[in-house]
Amino acid sequence: MLESYLPILIFIFVGISVGIVMLGMGFVLSPHRPDKEKNSTYECGFEPFENSRINFDVRYYLVAILFIIFDLEITFLFPWAVVLDDIGVFGLLAMALFLIILVVGFIYEWKKGALEWE
Amino acid sequence: MGGMTRFFKSLFLVELLKGMRLTGRYLFSKKITVQYPEEKTPQSHRFRGKHALRRYANGEERCIACKLCEAVCPALAITIESEQRDDGSRRTTRYDIDLSKCIFCGFCEESCPVDSIVETREYEYHGETREDLLMTKEKLLAMGDKYEEEIAADRAKDAIYR
Amino acid sequence: MLDLLYSLTSFLPESLQTIIIILVKIAVLLIPLLLGVAYLTYAERKIIGYMQVRIGPNRVGPRGWLQPIADAVKLMFKEIVIPNFANKFLFLLAPVLSIGTALAAWAVVPFNAELVLADVNAGLLYILAMTSVGVYGVIIAGWASNSKYAMLSALRASAQIVSYEIAMGFALVGVLMASRSLNLGDIVIGQSGGIYHWYLLPLFPLFVVYFISGVAETNRAPFDVAEGESEIVAGFHVEYSGMAFSIFFLAEYANMILISMLASLMFLGGWLSPFEGIEIIQNSSLAFIGTASIGWLLAKAAFLLLLFLWFRATFPRYRYDQIMRLGWKVFIPITIVWIFVIGLMYYWQIGPWFTH
Repeated sequence: MLESYLPILIFIFVGISVGIVMLGMGFVLSPHRPDKEKNSTYECGFEPFENSRINFDVRYYLVAILFIIFDLEITFLFPWAVVLDDIGVFGLLAMALFLIILVVGFIYEWKKGALEWE
Repeated sequence: MGGMTRFFKSLFLVELLKGMRLTGRYLFSKKITVQYPEEKTPQSHRFRGKHALRRYANGEERCIACKLCEAVCPALAITIESEQRDDGSRRTTRYDIDLSKCIFCGFCEESCPVDSIVETREYEYHGETREDLLMTKEKLLAMGDKYEEEIAADRAKDAIYR
Repeated sequence: MLDLLYSLTSFLPESLQTIIIILVKIAVLLIPLLLGVAYLTYAERKIIGYMQVRIGPNRVGPRGWLQPIADAVKLMFKEIVIPNFANKFLFLLAPVLSIGTALAAWAVVPFNAELVLADVNAGLLYILAMTSVGVYGVIIAGWASNSKYAMLSALRASAQIVSYEIAMGFALVGVLMASRSLNLGDIVIGQSGGIYHWYLLPLFPLFVVYFISGVAETNRAPFDVAEGESEIVAGFHVEYSGMAFSIFFLAEYANMILISMLASLMFLGGWLSPFEGIEIIQNSSLAFIGTASIGWLLAKAAFLLLLFLWFRATFPRYRYDQIMRLGWKVFIPITIVWIFVIGLMYYWQIGPWFTH
């Protein structure tokens, strides 16, 4: 059972090492002549005069929070869908109820304007 | 009703599919790319390329150093200096066109009373130094000698419009 | 072929032997994949060129066939610039993370009933996990660059990818309800029996949602605000050059191929033939088009990839608020409604898809 996951583990290592090897190849083959101007942050021709670790719109956080809710919902739905044959009408109705509750929440956040990006 | 149709139109992506049909049609249409060094687009006889100074048939240079071209040049690319020649005629001692300033507007050509300064069809040139792009009198006369036939034919073609 | 490999490596201890054989299999999968990525860029430039009444690259090699190779060689010899105030470790980690996840997701993609590297039961879950981790590549790249353009792009891209992942996840739930298996091979086998049995028919809205979400997930036009040239120059990889940049590029294209492959596996019957079970074809000399083969899978994926390029040639870029509205206010309601519809279809055992 678990040994069927071994190729996946190896593949992840291979994928990462492909990235590292390619980066290494780039460093080995390419010239390396840094200068002040070249290494400065790109900012449309003028000097970058402040740090870019700036504060940003709170809506990005909101999207992240909503994402967690819905992604969790999907993770609940995944195993439920796989065993659909075994849980019968009761399972179907239970998940329908769960979804309806979430849809109510979805409508609430929609009406509250959490999804607005004017 | 209008709202309903609009809703279903956007739900079934009608307009997006229309756009894709259009680009899909162009996928198979004839391509108009000109393969430049091998193929070239046709030129008008009024084409404005690199400049040339012309001569009369007897070999005398046309330019009389009136400096109209220098005056009219919007990019101030032309510099002329003149002196009286031994036979008493007024001639240029220096006639420079800085091609790095020139905008190829053709005003010099238009202003010339003796059809001396002209623009040829030559457009494939380059310079590796700034001097290469400074057309001196010698270079301009050489251009004129090289393309005289073509220049004359082009002026003749254009004469009926003048 | 595989037997030969087994006999060649038989002198090694068994555990090492399995690992070597797995590595060879991975190489057999990865090399065509990377070549496919290279030639996808060529196809993209050619097809978009054709749609714009141009002829696209045609100078390097016959008809431009060597263009991707020339591009790769050029990028290899370009300096990798690391900006002064960048976080060096994260700056270099980001591309590795991008390509690592984009490639690793291929471990569970089956090419036909036997040809699959890791035939695991949680295949779909694994792919979803890998594409989710891929978002980190974008965020880290944007943050580590310490450039405002990269930062803004990383924020946009991550919010966008995350939003469309929900719609995508719901679409996958629809597929799971039809197939009742997370194993991609079983999902395809569940669709056998001719074009009528494909999940495309009962799940058509989910297919559309899945594919468009896929376009948004890979940050492709018309959803490419993350790299909108006109506003934030190149987005999160504005500070990357040379090989570091090309790794992001490779990852994006590998993800495009992955999305197309998954869409054809889950909705278009994978390696199954659309003419399956039609007697006239079965008995004629054209029987090969009626049988399942890897060719069908590749043809379907190629068609979906054409759609990617077609979209890019056709549509103008969406505005960011439009993207978020499409993701949250159109796709999520559509998918939720359709999951209820599937539930009903399952209850009444409609069609060949929901008989249990």
